[in-house]
Amino acid sequence: MSQVQQSQETFSYDDDIVKKFTLATLVWGGVAFLVGILAALQLAAWQLNFDLSWLTFGRLRPLHTNAAIFAFGGNAIFAGIYYSTQRLCKARLFNDTLSKIHFWGWQLIIVAAAITLPLGLSQSKEYAELEWPIDIAITVVWVIFAVNFFGTLARRRERHLYVALWFYISTIITVAVLHVVNSIEIPVSWFQSYPVYAGVQDALVQWWYGHNAVAFFLTTPFLGLMYYFLPKAANRPVYSYRLSIVHFWSLVFIYIWAGPHHLLYTALPNWAQTLGMVFSIMLWAPSWGGMINGLLTLRGSWDKVRTEPVLKFMVVAITFYGMATFEGPLLSIKSVSAIGHYTDWIIAHVHGGTLGWNGFLTFGMIYYLIPKLYRTELYSKRLANMHFWIGTVGILMYLIAMYTSGFTQSMMLRAIDAETGKLVYPDFVETVVRIIPLYWARAVGGILYLAGFLIMCWNVYKTCQAAPKKQPVEVFRAPAMPAEEVGGHWHRRLEGWMPTFSVLAFLAILVGSAIEILPTLVAHTYTPVTAGVAPYTALELAGRDIYVREGCYNCHSQMIRTLPEDVLRYGKPSLAEESMYDRPFQWGSKRTGPDLARVGGKYPDLWHYRHMLDPRSVTPNSIMPSYPWLFDAKTNFDGLNRKFAVMKSLGVPYTDDEVANASKAARDQALTIANGLRGDSPVKNLEDREIIAMIAYMQRLGAKR
Amino acid sequence: MNNSDKNNTNTNGGVEIFSTEKALLLDHNYDGIRELDHVLPRWWVWLLYATIVFSVWYSGYYMLGSGPTPEQELAEEMTRIEALKPPTNAGGLPEAASLVSALGDTSRANHGREVYLGKCVACHGDHGQGTIGPNLTDEFWIHGGAPTDVARIVAVGVPEKGMPPWGPLLSPDELTDLVVFIDSIKGSNPAGAKAAQGEKYDAKN
Ligand code: HEC
Ligand code: HEC
Repeated sequence: MSQVQQSQETFSYDDDIVKKFTLATLVWGGVAFLVGILAALQLAAWQLNFDLSWLTFGRLRPLHTNAAIFAFGGNAIFAGIYYSTQRLCKARLFNDTLSKIHFWGWQLIIVAAAITLPLGLSQSKEYAELEWPIDIAITVVWVIFAVNFFGTLARRRERHLYVALWFYISTIITVAVLHVVNSIEIPVSWFQSYPVYAGVQDALVQWWYGHNAVAFFLTTPFLGLMYYFLPKAANRPVYSYRLSIVHFWSLVFIYIWAGPHHLLYTALPNWAQTLGMVFSIMLWAPSWGGMINGLLTLRGSWDKVRTEPVLKFMVVAITFYGMATFEGPLLSIKSVSAIGHYTDWIIAHVHGGTLGWNGFLTFGMIYYLIPKLYRTELYSKRLANMHFWIGTVGILMYLIAMYTSGFTQSMMLRAIDAETGKLVYPDFVETVVRIIPLYWARAVGGILYLAGFLIMCWNVYKTCQAAPKKQPVEVFRAPAMPAEEVGGHWHRRLEGWMPTFSVLAFLAILVGSAIEILPTLVAHTYTPVTAGVAPYTALELAGRDIYVREGCYNCHSQMIRTLPEDVLRYGKPSLAEESMYDRPFQWGSKRTGPDLARVGGKYPDLWHYRHMLDPRSVTPNSIMPSYPWLFDAKTNFDGLNRKFAVMKSLGVPYTDDEVANASKAARDQALTIANGLRGDSPVKNLEDREIIAMIAYMQRLGAKR
Repeated sequence: MNNSDKNNTNTNGGVEIFSTEKALLLDHNYDGIRELDHVLPRWWVWLLYATIVFSVWYSGYYMLGSGPTPEQELAEEMTRIEALKPPTNAGGLPEAASLVSALGDTSRANHGREVYLGKCVACHGDHGQGTIGPNLTDEFWIHGGAPTDVARIVAVGVPEKGMPPWGPLLSPDELTDLVVFIDSIKGSNPAGAKAAQGEKYDAKN
């Protein structure tokens, strides 16, 4: 072997940064699960909203999703990527300082999220709620991560990139593109901005982002982790290199197209819906390629799976991955989406993926990493097994509860009497009452999952405690990166050209993105400026911003689908032009409460007044939180001129006069509404209160003007 | 897989390789991770092809071909639903005679109260005293106090004033029961009654 003669270089790995990210994973995992449980309980018992603005469901749910995805998932990814990339490249991370800035920068972003989301500073775009200053910070930290990662690859001592690295490359590039494109917004103040996209465009861009956040934040990096940690832990060769190639490229190429499956039967143009559906279906095999390669790597090693907690967690994780990636295409079929969309079925689908795939893979990885990082044995395999079983039971309980809830409510909401053609359950709240027991069961499932997680934390703590105090730096030796070999398979050679590989991975995601998004952005044909849709009045806009702040979209959709059950319940289907001035769009993704697209004029002002103060005073058994603070807080009239100016710069047809008089016009409209309520309200200076702006917005929804 | 197949070859950096796999083992070695080169599972390849073929056909049919749009499908379905007739008297409104003869029937009034408590309390108060909507116990009516007037308003509502149309949500029997109930609380003078609205109605007219 010629390598023996080559001069050996010595190097060591930066495992300190891996330890930091692992620890952060544990801390934020606990926070994410805890907030999730509280949000789950709030749906079972509305009292747990405590009438506190910063603790209400509408503000907590984004905190839960962001903490779970970006804090728990993010830190886990960074830990795993930094650990494995160094070893797969036989090189230390590019720059220790960049690693540290990456770590602390990311934690700072999470803390900022944990403060701003409960305060209601939110853009309301799901998994992209954070306001613009934080968006910029995310971009900066992500670029630092990218420099550190690609710098490490550039200094690698291994010619070829292993499949795990392909997935990491694709992750880093795509997440950057998604985040930047979806976050283009114009600031109104330090804490608020309006997106440049409106209505249907905003919906399309957001769900291109939202879906691919699942794809490129919760799928591709975790597949990369699987490709490293599974064969390491099982001590078995990866099943099929060929399959890795085919499923990697097909996965990244196809995934990016599938976003519109979140918008079936909506006002999104039909061709985009069709593309979203068929690409989701074509995604089935590429996804299962990863599952097959994972599970078949364990062929013949099932005896080890029975005894080794690391493998146990990973096998279950991969199985859930397989289930979720079968269910995804299924749910993208239009007629299935008609049943599942807006219901708890989607919640079940997502949690099969997150609790099962992301969570269990992370746990498996941590049980593998901790003894390696601290050069000792795991404190207790028994506790790890206990974690495994409690966690598994927790997931199953969660899923069974949510599937049952989703189907039950969907069947009730869709039921149309075959003889009379009327809705069988016209009262929405009747369908809510029916699923409350399932909300309790779901919360218990979540608590079990958290309990298992805490057992792991204890186990990790004890392991670290028992670790030898002296941990000398391990030094490795390897020759410099060998020169490129001539000939051989083209893909094998491609694996040796990191820049070319990365550019191709970028092009793979560019095609679908451009084809789906560009037509909607350049041609405004989907939002014909027909008579009838007037821009929001200043007061309505103020109310709308409050609606966004309170996160009402977490429970309410504003999109009546082209389905009979929607039309019978809520009125004629929503049209694209009806949300043409909506920045951000508020179509929603879940109907815990009824659709609000045409609620304007359905009830008197006083009804909304009472309903917002205490929903149960007008709808017994409602689980909607009360919003008493809207009756104290004052509408920000003075900021309205600036908001109007920003809206005008974005193309909303306000006149200069309207911009200059926005604040005054809002006060006038508020006075009219307040005068109508004065006799029934003890609130002083009622016209100044946010509730009035909210009522103005509610009454405007769907109303013809 | 039989354990005897296992041939633990330490030359492979400790990775377990079965004797049957030796021919498939590639010379890749990343931090001790080795790769086999199994052919793609046949069923997996077929699955990939099948989904592609389906997708091409589906897109062609719905995007270029004669496949109906969701709007067309909806219109067809709505025509079918709207053609369905309510089971009893046309329009869903009870006839005047049957309404009048039902007045005073306590079991109907009791049932009417149940419906009322579910759907009307929010706006008319638990004793009909009126909160968001008007007092239903006094003799003043905005839209007329005859049983047929009450039935009509309950069925079609006054949407612009915030009284929802209940016709689509109530069976004709329930509607009658509600009218009987409202008649039964006439003059009950509940606490906190809302001030009179509308014209005085006198049944003798
Ligand atoms: C926890 C979920 C949840 C949140 C958050 C929530 N709602 Fe609701 N909402 C419901 C439920 C359930 C109903 C149905 C029962 C009722 O009428 O209260 C409802 C009903 C409504 C209705 C009546 C709709 C109709 O057609 O009868 C309006 C209006 C409404 N909500 C407005 C809001 C606004 C505005 C916000 C934000 C400030 C909000 N909701 C936040 C759950 C929620
Ligand atoms: C969302 C609030 C609301 C609900 C719920 C509601 N009403 Fe009304 N109702 C009103 C309002 C407001 C008016 C007054 C309409 C007007 O000014 O013309 C009214 C008027 C009426 C009237 C006519 C009163 C008159 O003076 O002429 C009757 C009868 C009536 N409601 C019965 C019912 C019944 C029965 C139900 C339950 C099935 C019901 N309402 C539910 C708000 C409501």
